[in-house]
Amino acid sequence: MGNEKGYLALVLHAHLPFIKHPEYPDFLEEDWFYEAMVETYIPLLNVFENLTEEGIDFRLTMSLTPPLCNMMSDPLLIDRFSHYLNQRVELSEKELTRTSGTEFEGVARMYFNKFRRYKELFENRYHRHVLEGFKKFQDMGKLEIITCCATHGYLPLMVHKESVNAQIKIAAQDYRSRFGKNPRGIWLAECAYNPGDDKFLRDEGIRFFFTESHGILHGTPRPKYGIYAPVYCPQTGVAAFARDMESAQQVWSAESGYPGDARYREFYRDLGYDLDYDYIKPYLHSDGVRRNIGMKYHKITGKVSLNQKQAYNPAEAREVAAQHAGNFMFNRQKQIEYLSTVIDRKPLVVSMYDAELYGHWWYEGIDFLEYLFKKIYYDQDQIKLVTPMEYLEMYPENQIVQPSMSSWGDKGYHEVWLNSGNDWIYRHLIKSSERMMDLANKFPNATGLLRRALNQLARELVLMQASDWAFLMTTGTAKEYSTKRTKDHVKRFNELYEQIQGNRINEAYVYELELKDSIFQQMDYSVYSSASKEAVLAKY
Amino acid sequence: MEKSLSSATLVKPIVKDPFAELDVPFGYGRTESYLLPKDPAWMFLFWEITQSTFDYLKSQYGDETLKNSRTIIRLHDVTGVESFNGTNSLEFYDMPVIFEARSWYINVPKTGRMYVADLGYLTTDGRFILVSRSNSSSVPPGRVSDVIDDKWMIVEGDFQKLLKLSGADYIGLGASELMQVVGQRWKLTELTPSGSPSSWSSFALHLEKVEKEDEDIWLEADCEIIIYGSASKNAIVSINGKDIELKDGKFSIRQHLPAGSVVDLPIRARNAKGDKTRQLMIKALREQGK
Repeated sequence: MGNEKGYLALVLHAHLPFIKHPEYPDFLEEDWFYEAMVETYIPLLNVFENLTEEGIDFRLTMSLTPPLCNMMSDPLLIDRFSHYLNQRVELSEKELTRTSGTEFEGVARMYFNKFRRYKELFENRYHRHVLEGFKKFQDMGKLEIITCCATHGYLPLMVHKESVNAQIKIAAQDYRSRFGKNPRGIWLAECAYNPGDDKFLRDEGIRFFFTESHGILHGTPRPKYGIYAPVYCPQTGVAAFARDMESAQQVWSAESGYPGDARYREFYRDLGYDLDYDYIKPYLHSDGVRRNIGMKYHKITGKVSLNQKQAYNPAEAREVAAQHAGNFMFNRQKQIEYLSTVIDRKPLVVSMYDAELYGHWWYEGIDFLEYLFKKIYYDQDQIKLVTPMEYLEMYPENQIVQPSMSSWGDKGYHEVWLNSGNDWIYRHLIKSSERMMDLANKFPNATGLLRRALNQLARELVLMQASDWAFLMTTGTAKEYSTKRTKDHVKRFNELYEQIQGNRINEAYVYELELKDSIFQQMDYSVYSSASKEAVLAKY
Repeated sequence: MEKSLSSATLVKPIVKDPFAELDVPFGYGRTESYLLPKDPAWMFLFWEITQSTFDYLKSQYGDETLKNSRTIIRLHDVTGVESFNGTNSLEFYDMPVIFEARSWYINVPKTGRMYVADLGYLTTDGRFILVSRSNSSSVPPGRVSDVIDDKWMIVEGDFQKLLKLSGADYIGLGASELMQVVGQRWKLTELTPSGSPSSWSSFALHLEKVEKEDEDIWLEADCEIIIYGSASKNAIVSINGKDIELKDGKFSIRQHLPAGSVVDLPIRARNAKGDKTRQLMIKALREQGK
C-alpha cells in the first residue's frame, strides 16, 4: 500500500443479447452489435492501446458477457461487421469531399480518421479477433475481464437451482475456452443477487461479484463499512462489492450529469436522415428505409428542435470531456477524503456502468475515460485505481455479511423483469428449465444425435432465459422482437423436447437450430443434471 | 448531492397484452404452481389446474362442497421451517382468488420471510382442501438489518452517516437516474422509424411514480382488472374486438389499469354461423390519484 487515501474501481458491463439471423441477408437488430463494436468496444481497445503506448498505467474491470464473446467470435457476424465498418470508411471518405469548406469539415474528418483507425485495429492488429485485444490487456494486468451469467439469465427468478448452476457453469466454461483461465469475477445479470447463489460461483473458482448498493446496505449483519469495502458471503467466502451511487449520480444526474452538455454530440440528428436519399441509400438496410447510420454532425446545442442543432466541433467536445474527467476525479478525491474520516480503513469506491453508455450513448464517454486514466496517473496521488482482486490482496480480511436479494433495476428488485407486461414468460421459462433438468437426469450419457439434440435443447433454454427479453418488453422498445424471440425459443424447445421424448428426433431440425441458435459450441447439457447441482450444494 | 428526480417523464404504463402468449402453450397439462419474489412486499404466483384434478376433487369431496367453498391462496410463512408439511408453518394468511385467473400478485404480510403458497378450497365448515402447493420462495428484508456484528462493531452515529454516504437515499433508483438524461432521447426515438437504436441497456424506468415524502413511510399501489365470464360452449367470444380462447366455456383476461385511464371493453359472443350475437359492455375508470 502506498500513500494513497483510497481506491477507485471502475467497472464496465459490456453485454448484448445473442442476435444472429443467418436466415436473412440483412437483419435490423444485428445492428446493435455492429454499432456497439464501432462506437464502444473497438474505441475502448483504442484507448487501451493509446495509454499503453504512452506508458500510462491503468486499471479497469470489464465484463464481456458470454453472448457478446460468442458474437465477437462468430464468423458470420464478424464478416458482416467487417462490411459494416468498410461502408463507414467509404462513406466518411466521400464526406471529406462533400463537406470540404463547410462548417462540417472538421466532424467529417473526425469520422474518417476514427473509422480508418478502427479498421486498422480490427483487421490488422487483432486480425478480426477483438477478444484477442481484450485478452492482451488482461495478460498485461491492466484489465480484469469478468464473466456474466451464461445468457444474462436473471437468477433470482429461476426456481430450479439446476438452471442457476448451468448459467454459471456454461459461462465459466466459455470464459476458460477464450481467456485460458478461470474467471475470477462475475457480473450477475442486472446485478440480481439471490442469497445462496454464491455457492455456484464459488464452485467455478469465482471470487467476487457486484451488487446494487442495498445488496450490502441491507445485508446481515450490518456492514461496518457500508458500501466502501467488500463483504464476504457466509459459507462461501465469495466477495460482494457494491455500487457507489454518488459516482453514478455524478455522471448521470439530470442536472449536473456530464452527457447532457450542449457541446456534446447529438444522438438523434443522424446523416441517415439528413443526406440525399440516393447518396445515402447504399448505406441503409436493404429495405431502403432511412435510419440512423451512426454518423452525426450536430451537437446537443440546447433545448431546440432537431433541425436547429448547430454543427459539432470535435475539438471543443474533447475539451469538455477532459474537463468532465477532471471534475469526476476531483469529486472522487473529495469523496474518499471525507470517507476516510468516517471509516478506519482506506475506502474503496466502486463505479459501475453499462459499457455501451460510453461511446454509443455518450459519444465522448470514450474520451472521458481516456482523460480520466491520464489525469489519475499524472495529476495526483490521493486515489489509486484498483481491480477487485488487487483490493482483496491488500485487504484479505473482510466482514462476513449475507448480502440481501437485490438488483440494479428500477426500485431495486425484480419488477422490471416481472410485471404484468411480461410475467407470462415465467410459465414457459420455468417449465422448460424443469424439462431440461428431467432429460439431463434421464440421459446421463447420451451420444450421437440424441446428444446433439439435448445440447441444442440446452441452447434454446439459455437463449430463452436471457433477461434482455423481459427487459425490452417492459421498456416497450423492441417489444415485438423480444416477444418473438421468447416465443421462438419456447416453441423450438418444446418441439425438440417432444421429439426427444417421442424418440423421433429429426436430424434436419436439429441441424437447422444448430445453425440458427449457434451460441456455445461447446455446450454440454449435463450441466443441467441434478447431480451437478447436488455436487455443489453437498459442499455446504 | 442534489436529490434525484423521478423519471416520471419516462413513465410508460405497462399494459398487459392479453394476446401476447397466444401462440405458446396455454398450459403444460399438469396441476402445479410456482411462487416468485418481486420485491420485499410482493410475490407472483402462477398456476395451472387440470380438468382431471377438478374431477378428482369432485369425486373426493362432492360437487356441492366445492361449489359452496371459497377458492383461496393460503400463504404460509415457512421461515426456518425444515420441511413444510402443510401444517407446520409459523403463520398463514388466506386471501380469496379466482382459479381461472391463473396468476396472482400477492402482497405479503411481512418482508424478509420465506413463503409457500397453497391454492385450495376453504369449505363452509372451515376445512382447507389443497389443490396445489407452490415451491418455497423468499422476499428480501427491504431495510437495514438489526443484527450487529460483535467483531465489526460500529458506532451508531457513524453508521447513520455511512448509510447516508452509501446512498441509502437512492435505494431503488437503480440505474434510472440515467434515464433522466436520455429521457428526451427516448421520447424522440419513438418518433423515428428505426425504433430504438439502443434498446439493450440495462436501464430501468419507473413503472409507476412513487411519492417518497418521508424516509420511514412509503406507499405504492397499482391496479389490474380481471375480466372473466362464461358463454355457450361453441360461442366465439371477443373482447375489444379480439377473439379470446374459451376453456370449457369460460374465459378470463387480466389487464393493467393505469392511473387516469378509461377502458372500454366490449365483450361479444357470436355463434359459429355468425348470425346470433350477444353483447356486454364493461367500462373501467381509474381516477388519476395523488
